[in-house]
Amino acid sequence: MEGDTREAIQDKSNVASSRPKNGVPNGSDRRLTDEEFERYSRQMIVPGMGKHGQLRLINSSVLIIGAGGLGCPAAQYIAGAGIGTIGIVDGDVVEPSNLHRQVAHATSRIGMAKVDSLITHLRSLNPLPTYIAHPFHLTAQNGADILSRYDLILDCTDNPATRYLISDLCVLLQKPLVSAASVQTSGQLIVLNCPPSPQGVVDRPCAPCYRCCFRKPPPPSANLSCGEAGIMGPVVGMMGVAQAGEAIKILASALHLPQDARGASGASGASDAERHLTHPHLLIYSYDLASAIGPYTFRALRMGGRKRSCFACGEGSTLTLEGIRSGNPDYVQFCGGLAPPPHAGLAPEERVTAAAYDAARRKQELPPHVLLDIREREHFSLGSIEGAVNVPFGKLLMKAAEIQRDGGEAEDVLPREARGSGKDAPIYVVCRRGIDSQETVAKLKELGLDHGGTRKIVDIVGGMKAWKDEVDPRFPFL
Amino acid sequence: MAPAPPPGHFHILYFAAAAQHTGKSLEPLPAPLPLRDLFDELERRYSGIRASVLDHSLVTVNLEYVDIQADEEAPEGERVVIQEGDEVAVIPPVSSG
Repeated sequence: MEGDTREAIQDKSNVASSRPKNGVPNGSDRRLTDEEFERYSRQMIVPGMGKHGQLRLINSSVLIIGAGGLGCPAAQYIAGAGIGTIGIVDGDVVEPSNLHRQVAHATSRIGMAKVDSLITHLRSLNPLPTYIAHPFHLTAQNGADILSRYDLILDCTDNPATRYLISDLCVLLQKPLVSAASVQTSGQLIVLNCPPSPQGVVDRPCAPCYRCCFRKPPPPSANLSCGEAGIMGPVVGMMGVAQAGEAIKILASALHLPQDARGASGASGASDAERHLTHPHLLIYSYDLASAIGPYTFRALRMGGRKRSCFACGEGSTLTLEGIRSGNPDYVQFCGGLAPPPHAGLAPEERVTAAAYDAARRKQELPPHVLLDIREREHFSLGSIEGAVNVPFGKLLMKAAEIQRDGGEAEDVLPREARGSGKDAPIYVVCRRGIDSQETVAKLKELGLDHGGTRKIVDIVGGMKAWKDEVDPRFPFL
Repeated sequence: MAPAPPPGHFHILYFAAAAQHTGKSLEPLPAPLPLRDLFDELERRYSGIRASVLDHSLVTVNLEYVDIQADEEAPEGERVVIQEGDEVAVIPPVSSG
């Protein structure tokens, strides 16, 4: 048995590209080792799996891009199921704030590369697969080379630019993509580009790519990251586990192979499955106790197929691997760039640094004023500048829109505690990082709260982040 | 499932950033409403929602994707009209993980 196992590992350590392609019943006559037989017994007896399905998994390779909240749970089940080759891409290191959701890492591995930490965990779970570490971020330059070595791709990343890059590469390399995303209390999951069809083919039903579903990225200002907006562990965990489920299902039934390569006979019963996949379902999970729809809701929404006009996979697409490698399209630019967001064009006298505001306060040079903190209530509850009153930015904008549309007292956008502080009491606005506060100053002026210029409305530059950096290093900033 | 909308209305569901912008997850809107007028109607109610949410969101009617762009270009008789009792959803992409 020992010998068999070692042989099996060696067999699988061949580079992925020279492995026999999964799907054809290659090795279906191979004996499973005793260890494999015992380890995979409970899934092999599930109807439809069998030894045949298990061998397909063992002969398959999966690339997991992102070793975070999605990648950790996904990788655990991918490894557990015995996928033969598992590659993991991530350039980050484990941080304490990851651990509430990235459950394959460990307190003892804080500071370690996430890829190494995750592989450590996966090896202890299942030593049989071959694990390949890609300890850096996926880029337009390295992407094609890495993705081309695997049968199926899991998008477990955390930003729109990388999502579009991955989808485009999957189109060009004809790889199926299991994509999931999650923030705060919402999750999404969809199987894309599966089974893969050549770019530009539109004369038969083909599966959509990410761009067919989401043509344009959100503006950077509307794009919430887990670091800024927060994330509940079970929500992202659920989506990661579901990603693994989809991947295993696809590989065990050989649906990841291009339609043409599978031949006319194909895998048995594939045609129904294919019909589902050319119009895949977007699974939405919302976990919101206050929601009118219900506290926990799954919804499966049927998407369209490949779009004739799609930039990446549609008719006459000009997207190429060489283009991507040389920076065309520019994904960062497409997703709003790294440039600072447009500011509201405030005059210098409408802005004050956190340090200068603090100094003026200490010297009691400031008249009685309103200090308006527009962070979310949860951030405000963790700590605020003494005397600050809170109204979340989104609420303030909604109230402002209501007043502008239906009429009403402009003063009502301010929280009740702030309304009695004198007609011309200056308003200082602070937010998390100093962006929303500029927009708020402009909005308050637009509403006429500056009383034609007699009342000062001032932005605290850099927000509470600057307050922590310049004034109070112990401030609990999140 | 969401509760049934009142007579003469359809329900619209807001997910993720759409829920954040509107401050609600669900509301009834008057039906019938041509699909291509949906975004104008929402912009009228929630100023700024088109640029910050709708332009990059996908829309479903009764759990099926509808292509708003294609609908706008379609001939009059083939355009989608949202009917009483329908369930419409606005789904912005989520990117984090």
